[in-house]
Amino acid sequence: MKGRRGLIGVVLALTAAFAAVAAAYASPDRAAAPAAPAASDSALVKCGKTRTIGFMVPATGPAASIGVQQVHWAQYYVSTYNKTHKTKFKLQTEDTMLGAPTGTAEALKGAQALVSNPNVLATAGPAGSNEIVGVTNVLKGGGLGWVSGSSTRTSLTTDGTRTGFMFRTVPPDAIQGPTAANYILKKLKLKNVYIIDDQETYSTGLADTVQSVLRAAGATVGRDGVSQQQSDFSSLIAKIPRDVQIIYIPWQLPPKGQAFGNQMKAAGRGSVKLMGADGLFDSSFAGVGSHVYDTNFPLNPKSKIISGFRKQHGGDGEYFGAPTYAAVQVAATAVDKACASGSTTRAKVRAAIAATNIPASKSLIGVALRFNKIGDLATAHKFGIYKSNGTDFVPVAG
Amino acid sequence: MTLEGGSGQMPAPVEGPRIGVDEWVAQVEGKRERYTGVRGVIEREFDRLPPAARVLVFAIPAALFPLVTTEGNVFRYGLFTLVYALLAIGLNVVVGFAGLLDLGYIAFFGFGAYFYGILASPQFNNHWQAEAAIPVVIIATAFLGLLVGLPSRRLLGDYLAIATLFFGQAFVVFVNNANRINFPFAGHVDLTGGSNGLAGIDPFNFFGYKVQGTRPLYYFLLISISLVLILLFFVNDSRTGRAWRALREDPLAAEVMSIPVNRLKLLAFVFGAGVAGFTGAIYGTLATAALPGDYDVGLLITIYAIMILGGFGSMMGIVVGAIVVSSVPELLRASANARPLFYGAIALAILVKLRPWRRLGLEVAALIGFGFAVHAIAAAAYPRLVHGSAIGSDFFARALDHWMLFPQNTKNIVDVAYIILIAAIVVFRQLGQLWRTVLLPPLLYLLMFVWENLLLVQINGATRLILLGALLVALMNARPQGLFGKAYVEIV
Amino acid sequence: MNWSLFFDLTVSGLTLGSLYALIALGYSMVYGILKLLNFAHGDVYMIGAFLGWFALHGLGGPVNPDFAGAAVLVVMFITAMLGCGVLGVAIERFAYRPLRNAPRIAPLISALGVSIFLQNSALLVFGASFRDYNTFSLIGVKVYHVGNLFFSVPQLLTVVSAICLMIALTVFVARSRLGKAMRSTAYDREAASMMGIDVDRVISVTFFIGSALAGAAGVMFGLVFGQIFHFMGFLAGLKGFTAAVIGGIGSLPGAMIGGLVVGLAESYATGYLPQGSTFQNLYVFALLILVILIRPSGLLGKAVVQKA
Repeated sequence: MKGRRGLIGVVLALTAAFAAVAAAYASPDRAAAPAAPAASDSALVKCGKTRTIGFMVPATGPAASIGVQQVHWAQYYVSTYNKTHKTKFKLQTEDTMLGAPTGTAEALKGAQALVSNPNVLATAGPAGSNEIVGVTNVLKGGGLGWVSGSSTRTSLTTDGTRTGFMFRTVPPDAIQGPTAANYILKKLKLKNVYIIDDQETYSTGLADTVQSVLRAAGATVGRDGVSQQQSDFSSLIAKIPRDVQIIYIPWQLPPKGQAFGNQMKAAGRGSVKLMGADGLFDSSFAGVGSHVYDTNFPLNPKSKIISGFRKQHGGDGEYFGAPTYAAVQVAATAVDKACASGSTTRAKVRAAIAATNIPASKSLIGVALRFNKIGDLATAHKFGIYKSNGTDFVPVAG
Repeated sequence: MTLEGGSGQMPAPVEGPRIGVDEWVAQVEGKRERYTGVRGVIEREFDRLPPAARVLVFAIPAALFPLVTTEGNVFRYGLFTLVYALLAIGLNVVVGFAGLLDLGYIAFFGFGAYFYGILASPQFNNHWQAEAAIPVVIIATAFLGLLVGLPSRRLLGDYLAIATLFFGQAFVVFVNNANRINFPFAGHVDLTGGSNGLAGIDPFNFFGYKVQGTRPLYYFLLISISLVLILLFFVNDSRTGRAWRALREDPLAAEVMSIPVNRLKLLAFVFGAGVAGFTGAIYGTLATAALPGDYDVGLLITIYAIMILGGFGSMMGIVVGAIVVSSVPELLRASANARPLFYGAIALAILVKLRPWRRLGLEVAALIGFGFAVHAIAAAAYPRLVHGSAIGSDFFARALDHWMLFPQNTKNIVDVAYIILIAAIVVFRQLGQLWRTVLLPPLLYLLMFVWENLLLVQINGATRLILLGALLVALMNARPQGLFGKAYVEIV
Repeated sequence: MNWSLFFDLTVSGLTLGSLYALIALGYSMVYGILKLLNFAHGDVYMIGAFLGWFALHGLGGPVNPDFAGAAVLVVMFITAMLGCGVLGVAIERFAYRPLRNAPRIAPLISALGVSIFLQNSALLVFGASFRDYNTFSLIGVKVYHVGNLFFSVPQLLTVVSAICLMIALTVFVARSRLGKAMRSTAYDREAASMMGIDVDRVISVTFFIGSALAGAAGVMFGLVFGQIFHFMGFLAGLKGFTAAVIGGIGSLPGAMIGGLVVGLAESYATGYLPQGSTFQNLYVFALLILVILIRPSGLLGKAVVQKA
């Protein structure tokens, strides 16, 4: 008896389910995207006195030490702007917890939260290239454009799926990798290189690029990897061949670079040169010694913005977050332009971002803030090379 | 420890030798928890419903949910809740039904996502239709479950946990590096995109109808969960289900009763893996990408928390657990929501625990008075302690300004207060009745102080997980079988 | 045969192995008595590292000339060991004692909850940035060598203090009355309580000792590798548990041997195998699976007969 009741119940349940779906979607060829996103793309939003910019950043989680720098720089822009303008800006910060055990789920939810808020007209961030891959659909579906201050994976702009939506204020890996490799080959004239990546996508991308350029030029290249959680490099250091002249470590967390450098010195191999990437551009890494090099997006060392920030933060430049300042600046300027008539749409803001033209004098990254067709900086063709003087990084001729 | 509620008369466990344990069990066996009153009626009626009707009780409100709220909310609350619930249900088969502690379960989830991605994305330019891809993914993941289960048969309890944890870690590392492998015959194949992940996964394509967009995907998930739940209800009542329960309670006795223990273990693994693979394929289309970091230990802990909250072996409990574990952190995203939740929880806890009413009133009055007193003393003697202000600008925040201490320079004071709070809670638990009555108001005040100044500020990151950890410990202390699980006695 | 590479790897393997052995001892002791996997043990180790750091900076930091390096070290160790011991006892009383008679999975879940709680409390209070031990300024990192064998002071310190602690523990367990009580409680809890042993006290002492050892290991990690952060307990705890299982869980000499085996295996795998550093955790776990399949009770464990 119970079995029969159960069977009837199953049939009822299935029928109810299908009825619900059928009622909601009568015709089967609704393959096109649902109507709602198109609406939010061109929905008219009144600008008002306080305008909202979305901000996706890894404020907590394993990448918090670099995320918090981005937060500081973004807040610096907003506070200086609000002091000198009649209209005010507000940041809606969504914590993406990059590298956290839950993966990109937080980024997805954060992106959805931004899209659902009709007052958000543009977004700064996300920081990680994987996060961007994950949230592209959500942000595009909501018509929201975004300006990233740190994601450097080349394919994000070149694969064509984000044109018109994604912009970034840092040059891509396709420029940083060869800059580093060429400096090693031509200026330092070294032929024996060891590359260690930190298993994250930012690092492996750079490492792969540098490795291929070096191998093509005939240099001897060894390769290995560590995890971002790792602090004990002693076995790895022992394994590095004695004739290696320079170790390239495109890592993301400066404390790890510092630990590696110190452990190299502790193992008696402090004469081997080290070179990092923009992730390690920090005085803690520079403090390892004067045999340390680094690449970083060209910051204008004389910029008043940078000196103002450093004064507020006790002399610490937190350089990793500087391009985020530029990203928020781009987004804010575009919103202001699009809001000239009092109300605007997300599509108009995107167009304004694409047409950004902030001169180099007003931009802290040393080049004008102008984008090319695919969303990369139009005039940033070089990365700066820096060498440590014992306490900080100073630019050297690239 | 006494169990809450009802007239269940389990004798309090004695901290000493328990001679004649079996006899005691025999006495208690028949008097398992039976609730009286409204709760009892609801429970008994619910148990009488056929499986399908039980599922409808949850499915119908869930089906109506998208019609009354925005698409954003459906995405954040609905979709993820359903995905986690489905995962937890699958895990429940392995842990709750068969009693095998599987710590590598998320690897099956990831495998499902990646495999579906291989079948339906630009990676290898396959674009299989869903009606072909999904069964293939389920079968492949089930087969993987079989492979993992085979060497695990000899392992008991804790060893199995470690072996499966290893498998989970191995999967993540493999997937992270699989773009650099040179296969023997095929040469260099980029299997998973390495740390970049597999991007551009197609949405489900059933005979030309694309499940694209939040609402269609939500309904698809709902139907899938309902079907899996109904299937599991039937399995639970079948011979296999009973054999699994026997295996869980006492493997040795089960084997002696000629239950094919090894085969059952494998079956549980295979079943759980199949469900996980299916969920993985769904999540692949939801996230439109399969990224290595998504399938790691953090998600495992979340799913376990859901299962524990809901109670092992209770499927409706798991659904409730999924709703709680998935929605509460989302609600807490906005600090405006966090306060009501926190103070509401404290109020609830006090209401439940403090009886009779006189005592409750006394404690609350003492708390309020204590707060004003401390605030007054601090304002007079150490003004720096009250110079800050509460977050937010609503009435409640302004009221708090006059009642609670808000130090100007918060960092060190609040950190020390946090550590003192933890120590205080540990000590509090060891105290007797009288001391507890006296010290409760100061303890509550300290708790609120730490909340307002430290936890609320960092509501998004560490706080959520701290609350989760504290919740797990508290829940295990109060009710080891979870919210909806059935209490059972384990004979060691 | 590249001897210098071999010696380098052996030295770093022994250093790591000593740390894992200390952690593994805590796991083994608790499992022997309570049959409980203390997931929170790795996080106690992490708290120990932070306590040592606070002690260091409480005394004015590594460059304060008022205190001799050795004295500072001793204070750091004692702070960490005492603090962690107390923490371990508190965890036991709060999270595990009420669950003594609950189904086996309940204290396991409670342990998981404590682990999450500790990790994130550390994140909340200490912040996300890594703390540096600054070993250079503290005790100097002179590299000594005997022939082809290079080692530095922190490494030597680690191995020597680990050996001292292990010897002390072995003597304690073998000779003292409390040690005998621990051994009998591990053998049969009911019988031990019937013989008049205060089981609760014995368990508290066990947790205290195990956690104190983990705290010492945390400080040593900071000294050798220089950097600590709130998530370091997870992997270290996992490997410590692996070491305990490989050596035979419940057996103290087994835990020590297991720790050294895991440390050396990790080091050699990194050094000799291709892409060794990337996959080093995998190699360690593969070793675990191998040992379990071949000898399920571990290297020095006793085969346990399942009683009903």
